[in-house]
Amino acid sequence: MSAGGTAADTAFRVADRVRAAGPWDVFAERTRRYEIHLNGRSIEMVRGPIEVEGYGLRVLRYRDGRTGAGFQASTDGSDAGISASFASAEKLSRFSSFPAKKVDLPSPRSGALPATEVLDRTLWDDPLGSLQEYVHVLLGAFDGKTDVAPSFGSVRATLTETTLANSAGLRTGYAHTTVDLEVAVKSFGGAEGAPPGEYWVNEATRRLEPGRLGPLVEEWCRYARDVRRAGPTPSGDLPVVLPASVLTGILPSVIGFRLTGGARLLEIAPPLGSPWAAESISIHDDGLAPWAIASSPVDDEGTPQHRRTVLDRGAVSALLYDTIHAGAFETASTGNALRGIQLGGFRDWRRFLQPAHAISTTVAIEPGSGGTDAEVIEAAGDGIWVQQLGWAIPDPISGAFGGELRIGYRIRNGRLAEPIRGGSVGGVVMAPPGAPSLLSRIEAIGSTATLCEWVRSPTLLVRPLTVVGVRG
Amino acid sequence: MRDLRALESDLLHALQRLERITKFADVLVEASEGEGIRIERKAVTPSRQPTLRGAVFRAWAGERWAEVATSSLDALAISRTVEALERVVSKATRSPDPPGEANTARKEWIDRPARPMRDVPFEETISLAKDAQAWAMGVPGVHDCQVSIAWSEEERFYLNTAGARCYQVLPRVHGLVVPLAMEGGRVEFDALIDGGLGGRERLDFLRPETVAQFGRNATELLHAAAPPTGEMEVLLDPSTTGTLAHESFGHGTEADQFVRDRSYLKPILGSVVGPEFLTIVDDGAYPGGWGTIPSDDEGHPGQRTVLVDRGRFVGGLHDRETAAAFHVPATGNARRADFLSRLFVRMTNTYVEPGDWSLEELVRETKDGILMERATSGIEDPQGGQMQLKVKKGHRIVHGERKELVTSMALSGKVLDVLRAVRGVSHRPDFEISPGFCGKGQTDLLPVGSGGTYLLTTAIVGPA
Repeated sequence: MSAGGTAADTAFRVADRVRAAGPWDVFAERTRRYEIHLNGRSIEMVRGPIEVEGYGLRVLRYRDGRTGAGFQASTDGSDAGISASFASAEKLSRFSSFPAKKVDLPSPRSGALPATEVLDRTLWDDPLGSLQEYVHVLLGAFDGKTDVAPSFGSVRATLTETTLANSAGLRTGYAHTTVDLEVAVKSFGGAEGAPPGEYWVNEATRRLEPGRLGPLVEEWCRYARDVRRAGPTPSGDLPVVLPASVLTGILPSVIGFRLTGGARLLEIAPPLGSPWAAESISIHDDGLAPWAIASSPVDDEGTPQHRRTVLDRGAVSALLYDTIHAGAFETASTGNALRGIQLGGFRDWRRFLQPAHAISTTVAIEPGSGGTDAEVIEAAGDGIWVQQLGWAIPDPISGAFGGELRIGYRIRNGRLAEPIRGGSVGGVVMAPPGAPSLLSRIEAIGSTATLCEWVRSPTLLVRPLTVVGVRG
Repeated sequence: MRDLRALESDLLHALQRLERITKFADVLVEASEGEGIRIERKAVTPSRQPTLRGAVFRAWAGERWAEVATSSLDALAISRTVEALERVVSKATRSPDPPGEANTARKEWIDRPARPMRDVPFEETISLAKDAQAWAMGVPGVHDCQVSIAWSEEERFYLNTAGARCYQVLPRVHGLVVPLAMEGGRVEFDALIDGGLGGRERLDFLRPETVAQFGRNATELLHAAAPPTGEMEVLLDPSTTGTLAHESFGHGTEADQFVRDRSYLKPILGSVVGPEFLTIVDDGAYPGGWGTIPSDDEGHPGQRTVLVDRGRFVGGLHDRETAAAFHVPATGNARRADFLSRLFVRMTNTYVEPGDWSLEELVRETKDGILMERATSGIEDPQGGQMQLKVKKGHRIVHGERKELVTSMALSGKVLDVLRAVRGVSHRPDFEISPGFCGKGQTDLLPVGSGGTYLLTTAIVGPA
């Protein structure tokens, strides 16, 4: 059996063995993973194939106007294993209580699944060869450099066939790839005797793009060199310019929780129509953004993904739901059931192990009229450009965020000036009307959006954010 | 729980096959099970650990390590997995011996608590969670309270071609209470957390008065002021001191970073880095610790390793390979997050040894500064020697007295500057080890403990 471009049938095999009245669904993955680990410029370890086939089975039971949901994940696909998983899910559903009278699981649709690009076909067909070629190009990009080299890193490619089935008759699936790149670029040497510097790259994408590596490595090397000559960060409430690569560590954790049915259930979601951001900004949840980590034809319950506006000119325009939270509020799922979300927004590759939660997909910020990065910088006047924060790790509940400045630049007279490092930058991502926040203090929005993991965003100018430097 | 030792003959057969083409191979088989409950005001969500088990085989491929893994443990799957590894290893062109000494330990550790959580009826766990929720929500102003209780039993079986055979079963228990307070759209919370190896007794920290206090803490945070910012005297609570130990001399002393020349600490091994009363330890044998491991994933016993001894940086954490590179014994810190993840040098329970100050003396000594409480996260910069710690709340200290409550903040600074500035560490009655999860880079999260007592130093405080 196959569906949606995948030859796997894990979920369908499980579904065929579930003999039960009442709603249930199953999410399954068959995964191959390959990894190359680097020690400096040599290959330290080659891993793969790492093979996992497993499923997560959910049983829903209605009683007293509420829903009991039991979930059991397993790698045991034998008849006995599936029976044991079902019995466990059934038992857990008896202890569970959720305020939904009914949960509408997605039904089969006629026609093709929504189109998005999530499969690197070359990588799929020759994973280890593709990885080896990529690593060859990556290391080659450092050839001839005497003051910069990789010190540590890995490239990990995950090839997954996802299948989904449920009691409403849904049988679907799709194949997809993810690539996790980690490289620590070290700068060293020179007569000045400065200690080594490092620029640490962490990037999750859907495809290997060796052709991008040349210019990227040049950028990374420049940042690593600038770490060595960076001066202290200034202090004060300053204009701060944030590119997409920084925003991806700040926005999704808060927007992706506060604008969901989960937050609404806790009574901490903002009311629809309330102005929680500057009028100049509109934000979409885009589950179909090409090559985005959170994109897929259907969400992890089988509901087709969409692009949906959640903040329209600063006002909250929609909340995001999975099926069970949708059931609690008698609305429809928005296709935002995702699995495998870990600390810091990282999406794990063993998604079948966890039940789905309502969460944002790609946070897409509508480009504005701020122009190029140079023009956004010019609008800042005197402030800072943040190139990398240590770990912004926002608190999804309070919305507070802050991180150590690993590398940034002073902006003087509307131009990038000397590199800076140390101290911290932070604030609150989004706050009730009238309270200061990152989203309410956006002064300029660049005209070109860049995809970076969980965010597709132009560069933003926020005036001000709190910056605390060494001489605070 | 299926006893993984039943697979021994299949695994040994697989290793014998690999022995024909490699000078060293090993296998780690893992299985775990457990249950959990999470309750909120409107929902009760029980869970069971995934039925996930599998094996990872590692072999020396001439000049590097090669690994394959599978989530299927039947004889055919194991055979196929070994074949895949044979294909990689047989292409190896060089065959020097693998680095380091192969472990030959043969031991079993089965931790049997007085009352294992597997014997506690689910109804009893739910009842405890509901009680805790009620204790918190009995506090006026507490709007909701999330309570999570979870336990797991993790079984690991390690064999290698040198004859090592290590089997361990580790029962871990974890509890978390998060009272939420809300007013005018502002939401705040506090978090009561504990966990470690053991059974039902690990949840005895869930007591009415303790939980209610955390409820009061959450409501008080609604009216807390923003923290002061800038460079100042910082008095760290035990959880923050533990995170300081973890991020400062934990990651930086993982000796794989030494081998890669990626640690700012490597050149200063043997140097004085702090005052004489400062000792930092990693202890995989700490009784009942969340990060305690009787055996690491190369078969070396978990042990107490002194990293900073009375102010002097004396050593790092090692697996077999880094131990060989530095001509020291392995320290029992070779860990995999699970059978699907590679082995790295990792911490276990990392802490600052108690000193001899009382908290009151340290507050007076601080004079003007901030008490930082309830660590929530940390990150290190192993090459650059900087770090960042975040806390949920704190109190201003003015003229040597503890004053008003302030909200979340971040500490940042250069590790060596922060350690050199340490002026006092409080005594043993304040000692705590907190459970947490640590990644290597952004992945491979595994359980670690971080601990200490109150510690006074100087650092930069900023927004978080």
